[in-house]
Amino acid sequence: MHITLLQAFLIGVVYYLGTVGTPWLTLLGSISFMYKPLVAGTIVGFIMGDPVQGCIIGAAINLPYIAFISAGGTVPVDPGLAGSLGTALALAANVQPAVATTVAIPLGLLGTLIWVLHMTVDVFFVHMADKAAAESDLKKICFLHIVPPQIFMFLICVVPVALGAYFGVSYISPMIKALTGTPLHVLQVIGQILPAIGIAMNLRAISRPGTLLFFILGFILKTYTSLNVITIAIMAGIVAYFYTKLTEGNSSAGNSLAG
Amino acid sequence: MAETNNNAVKAKKLSKKDVVKAFWRWTFFSHANYNYERLEATGLVYSMSPIIKKLYGDNPEEYKAAILRHMQFYNTEPHFGGVINGIVIAMEEERANGADISDEAINGVKTGLMGPFAGIGDTLWQGTLTPILLAFGISLGAQGNLMGPVLYGLLMFGIMLPIAYIVWMKGYQLGKEGLESLLGGNQLKMIITGASAMGAIVLGALASSFVAVSSPLIIQIGAVKLSLQADVFDKLFKGIIPLLITLGTLFLLKNRRMKSTTVLFILIALGAVCGLLGIF
Repeated sequence: MHITLLQAFLIGVVYYLGTVGTPWLTLLGSISFMYKPLVAGTIVGFIMGDPVQGCIIGAAINLPYIAFISAGGTVPVDPGLAGSLGTALALAANVQPAVATTVAIPLGLLGTLIWVLHMTVDVFFVHMADKAAAESDLKKICFLHIVPPQIFMFLICVVPVALGAYFGVSYISPMIKALTGTPLHVLQVIGQILPAIGIAMNLRAISRPGTLLFFILGFILKTYTSLNVITIAIMAGIVAYFYTKLTEGNSSAGNSLAG
Repeated sequence: MAETNNNAVKAKKLSKKDVVKAFWRWTFFSHANYNYERLEATGLVYSMSPIIKKLYGDNPEEYKAAILRHMQFYNTEPHFGGVINGIVIAMEEERANGADISDEAINGVKTGLMGPFAGIGDTLWQGTLTPILLAFGISLGAQGNLMGPVLYGLLMFGIMLPIAYIVWMKGYQLGKEGLESLLGGNQLKMIITGASAMGAIVLGALASSFVAVSSPLIIQIGAVKLSLQADVFDKLFKGIIPLLITLGTLFLLKNRRMKSTTVLFILIALGAVCGLLGIF
């Protein structure tokens, strides 16, 4: 089955709509709907004229991703790309559903590259929004929140996927290999460092006596134990309770004057 | 201040429509500008913008303060975590009506609760509901039955959107009732102190999982190979690189008063250089 340019473009759009955060179908409609190979595969099947086969291949590709969780901005693999481009290539090559999975999985690296790129570039729109916030320009922040990041996301999702669908993965896989070496590693390192700004800004905002010590306590708890954040938060609540009792209890006279 | 507070009692009331509108803005756009530095921050500002306009439209100083307040790092699971957004809307409404609710109080509630609700929400939604519905949809879809993806989608939306809506409205309600009973006494001050302490601990835990750099560097001394991370850092203090980076960033921002954009470029340069040289 040959993929036309228009079909290739539409397959790219399917991938874009499934990328976490695209607003067109609500957040749920991206990550919990279009992102799932079961759904994306069926729609790609419609685009290529065989929804039933698309659905079968999508279901097969979806199997290894059933328990996939995207949390805290990390995407280890990319079911969205496997579901859209993977199904398209499998349909075009007329392979068995089980083989489709092996076609789809190497694409995961490209998905990671796209994700890390958008998570990094979007930081610049936040800094533009900071400038707008300093001028109390709420309208501009709302614009910056949606239009530039979504145009960027559309381009980096649709262009590679459309090219991949049109030319076939054998033509673009050397390109993926080249990009996913050092460039991906550098982007990932930057991505691992940047949350430090957001967290430091928040710490600056709290800025009370003891804040830094509490921060280090939480940091050590998470680094050295396998406790999850919920458990640490409960412990934090207990610590906070006693801390509050001790400090506010002693200075209540001063507080009532100030209040 | 005291006079205006008394005169303006409950002058600015949010209608149910305002709260619902914020919910829909969040439901569609929470992650439209998702990014490594502040994650859902601009999403929160976008969702709250009609409320900020309504509550602080006549007070340029408060208007700006509200925008700046919500430009802070924010990241939670967007459906169950909506309870925090609801509470925050209630807090903003009380503040606009003269209640003594500081930036710290609002920030403390956000940072203290966002991590736990992200954990709870992701476990229930992506960890529990999604696999169950997918297993059902895939079993139909694998036989070529198009009802597989259709039913999967209908169930997913039909279950998650009502939950998100109820949780959001409950948060607003809880915020209103909770605040009204608290505002009288000295309790609010205690809550701020407690929330700030709890928030700082949770932020520490988040820093440990988000700022995830480690060093693959291996130092060769004679015949001895020494892995910088496993043999040195892990034995001294495991998370020393992320902790130093975060505290260094705080130092640049707070003590050096650098603009966050300058710090951004410094960190990108640091990541690029260390990534290229293989230090990170």
